[in-house]
Amino acid sequence: MYDSIILRSVARLMLPILLMLAVFMLLRGHNLPGGGFIGGLVASCAIILQLVAFGPDFARRVLRVNYLSLAAFGVFFAAVWGLPALLTGQPYMTAFWIPDPIPGVGKIGTPVLFDLGVFFGVVGVTTQIALLLAEERNPREASDAGTAAP
Amino acid sequence: MLPAIVLITLALAPLGLLARTGPRPLVGWALALLPALSFALLLFQLPQVTGTTQIREVIPWVPAMGVELNFALDGLSLLFALVITGIGTLIIGYAGHYMHDDPGLGRFLLYLLLFMGAMLGLVLAGNVLTMFIFWELTSVTSYLLIGYKHDYPGARRGALQSLVITAGGGLALLLGLLILGEGARQAGVAPNQIYNFDAIIAAGDAIKAGPLYTPALLLILVGAFTKSAQFPFHFWLPGAMQAPTPASAFLHSATMVKAGVYLLARLAPGLGDTPLWNAALVLVGGFTFAFGALVATRKDDIKALLAYTTLSMLGGLIMLIGLGGKYAAEAVVVNILAHALYKSALFMIAGIIDHEAGSRDLRQLGGLRRMMPATAFFIALALLSQMGIPVFFGFVGKELLIEAALSSPLADPLRYAALTAIVVAAVGYIIAAWRLFKYAFLGTPSPTLAQRHHVADPRGMLVPPAIPALLSIIIPLALLPWASQLLAPAASVIYGKEIGFKLALWHGVNSALMISSAAILVGAVLARFERPLAAMPPHLPAWADGATLLDRLLAGVDRVGALITRSLQTGQLRRYMLYNTITLLLITGVPFVLYVLPGLTFFSPDPQLRVYEAFAAALIPIAVVATIRAESRLSAIIAVGVVGAMVSLFFVLFSAPDLALTQLLIEVLSTVFLLLVFSILPARFATLSSNTTRMRDAILAGMVGLLVAGLVLATATTTSFEPLAPYYLENSLAKGKGQNVVNVILVDFRGFDTMGEVTVLLTALLGIYGLLRMRREKR
Repeated sequence: MYDSIILRSVARLMLPILLMLAVFMLLRGHNLPGGGFIGGLVASCAIILQLVAFGPDFARRVLRVNYLSLAAFGVFFAAVWGLPALLTGQPYMTAFWIPDPIPGVGKIGTPVLFDLGVFFGVVGVTTQIALLLAEERNPREASDAGTAAP
Repeated sequence: MLPAIVLITLALAPLGLLARTGPRPLVGWALALLPALSFALLLFQLPQVTGTTQIREVIPWVPAMGVELNFALDGLSLLFALVITGIGTLIIGYAGHYMHDDPGLGRFLLYLLLFMGAMLGLVLAGNVLTMFIFWELTSVTSYLLIGYKHDYPGARRGALQSLVITAGGGLALLLGLLILGEGARQAGVAPNQIYNFDAIIAAGDAIKAGPLYTPALLLILVGAFTKSAQFPFHFWLPGAMQAPTPASAFLHSATMVKAGVYLLARLAPGLGDTPLWNAALVLVGGFTFAFGALVATRKDDIKALLAYTTLSMLGGLIMLIGLGGKYAAEAVVVNILAHALYKSALFMIAGIIDHEAGSRDLRQLGGLRRMMPATAFFIALALLSQMGIPVFFGFVGKELLIEAALSSPLADPLRYAALTAIVVAAVGYIIAAWRLFKYAFLGTPSPTLAQRHHVADPRGMLVPPAIPALLSIIIPLALLPWASQLLAPAASVIYGKEIGFKLALWHGVNSALMISSAAILVGAVLARFERPLAAMPPHLPAWADGATLLDRLLAGVDRVGALITRSLQTGQLRRYMLYNTITLLLITGVPFVLYVLPGLTFFSPDPQLRVYEAFAAALIPIAVVATIRAESRLSAIIAVGVVGAMVSLFFVLFSAPDLALTQLLIEVLSTVFLLLVFSILPARFATLSSNTTRMRDAILAGMVGLLVAGLVLATATTTSFEPLAPYYLENSLAKGKGQNVVNVILVDFRGFDTMGEVTVLLTALLGIYGLLRMRREKR
């Protein structure tokens, strides 16, 4: 998109680091600043950086998923983890926790999984909006790629 | 058992779709087993049911508010349930014959079974709210039935009119029932019982004395009168004749339109016998009784003719309920049964005529007596019962009608009004029935009919109407004791006290017999002159027809709707923002200025204010002004970024790292988004709007800014509520298993809010997606 060797080199280098930071933010969220929303924003920053440096076609391939579907999946996934409570007769979204923390991940419970859904939702939504806007900018480029929409 | 009968009928309704395959009449009869089974089950309850004893089954729903699915079986509901399931069995069997070559039969039977379930629920409900749910369900399902031939404009119009009228009346009814419940509460009924029919009726005298009686009654009457097609709401019923004949026979003779009668009959012992009740029911019912019968004498379409006699009879029933007294209660139940029998037979035979002779217009028929002798015989039985000729069931009903008017405890004017209505209706019925028989069955076939081949009695299709037609003569001759056993408990419910009565054909020579004989004689004489009578004025002008008026009203609603849409939905984003801003200022700003603003303290010097905080705070307005004044888009983006960065700085200063992180990331992303959008647009802003417009926008924007600032100030300084923060801080680790309180709030305490926010994000994405895709496809 912007043909800058410096931007491209930095972007390439930053991609794994930012994605790892995103997961880190997501996991530590329950006890320290972070969480699904922030983690999701970091991850989409990572992808949008590729978009700015290499263009929409490359950005599409970063996660190898359809971001629109990812957004929908995230919202669905978040909603699903409220359901177990209904089976036990408690109000929707009552939390359940595994008693012992899992090493390297921390305590796992339905709120954490809900947060994961939020993470996917945020990544999907923001990235897809950026892609749509970027492709809008240059319609010819998009139609050359053969996929006007994912 | 009662909820089971209702719910199983509703749940098994999709079985109707089976009729898409296989031999049609057989499938129809197989499905008729469903209501037949309910009929048999209900019949077994007959010995246990009297006027006052009930079978009651309750499924709690919202117990605190007295809302429950409450089913009860007493004499009145048993009579109605038997009529619904009994006639329903015949109708479904009949539909299989009548519509044997209609590809939509399955769908039709589905609607019919759904309707039947709704109707059963209505009459078996022991609680006004349960009844109301099924009441509305009958409106919806009858809409589907009437509009079954949805590719005919006439059917759509009839369906829409019936829905608008009955559902509109339903709204009034709901309001009336809620007010009635409130009245019952004020009358001292236990709060969880206020919607129960029994409790309402038991507290009837106290409710009648209360202030809520009149509004409640008026609204309930609107509901009942619309449903039972009383003048001036009567016109939807003839319009509903667009339904396939089996539906007309079922809905508009035996079931749906009787719902209003049923409701009034059920409420009569509790709410009845006040001047308002008596006058409204006797006058409206009586007028409809006479009016319907007179209009029927002029109709040439057999179904329209029957429709007007139906609404006439409904008026007669409502008038009877208004008359009150023991004879009226008996007359109501006898006439309900007699009418259901002869009217369902008449409608089904009207369908047979249409089916065989290709028309149901009296002007195009004639001479069918020779071609269809059996049909002629059965329709004659039904017509004689309708005319109230001695030894037919209708005669028993009419004698009781006259007796009820003669012995009514009401004041003379009302009694004489009722008596006049009865005589006029009796004469009208005779003329209408005579015309129907004469023009369809006597004389010589019309030229079109003579050319038609194979006009003959059908076989299977004639069985369903033959049964009620025969019962119209067999019951009075042989089964009166049995019928009394069924009808006495029903009449007791309406009367409010147990009455045991034995129906009899012969009461000796009394005034009722004299009046009814006189009516028959006058009718017979006038029937000779039906031709000049039909040509006589008054003929209503076309515009005065209720259906036309309703059409105009609906068209007017459409026009106003289109006008509002055109003026609001301009398709311009700036317009929408203008509306939203003004709306916000009106609905939030006005109450804010009135109630919140006076209590706010604006300047409280903070001794701990640090220099860098003041510096950051001062930078924000400067950046805002810079954004507004910016000439190039890039500098505007940068200036907006400064605002965001300063806000994040504040979050850092006031130890909210989560918020600071989020704000910063959002700032980054929105900068990228803005860049992506602005890169399509020219680099510099153009001034396109006039100075006045800009000034208006500046004032509105400034007011919204001040409003939001004031709201933030108000929420931060308010002390009206106990702050929530301590609860979150204390319970975050214990209940939410997390030390980051912000995140625990987001995913656990207020997880539902987050769910909503993520959904909003997704919706926004879909909106953007749609907008951009549409633009792309246009190019």
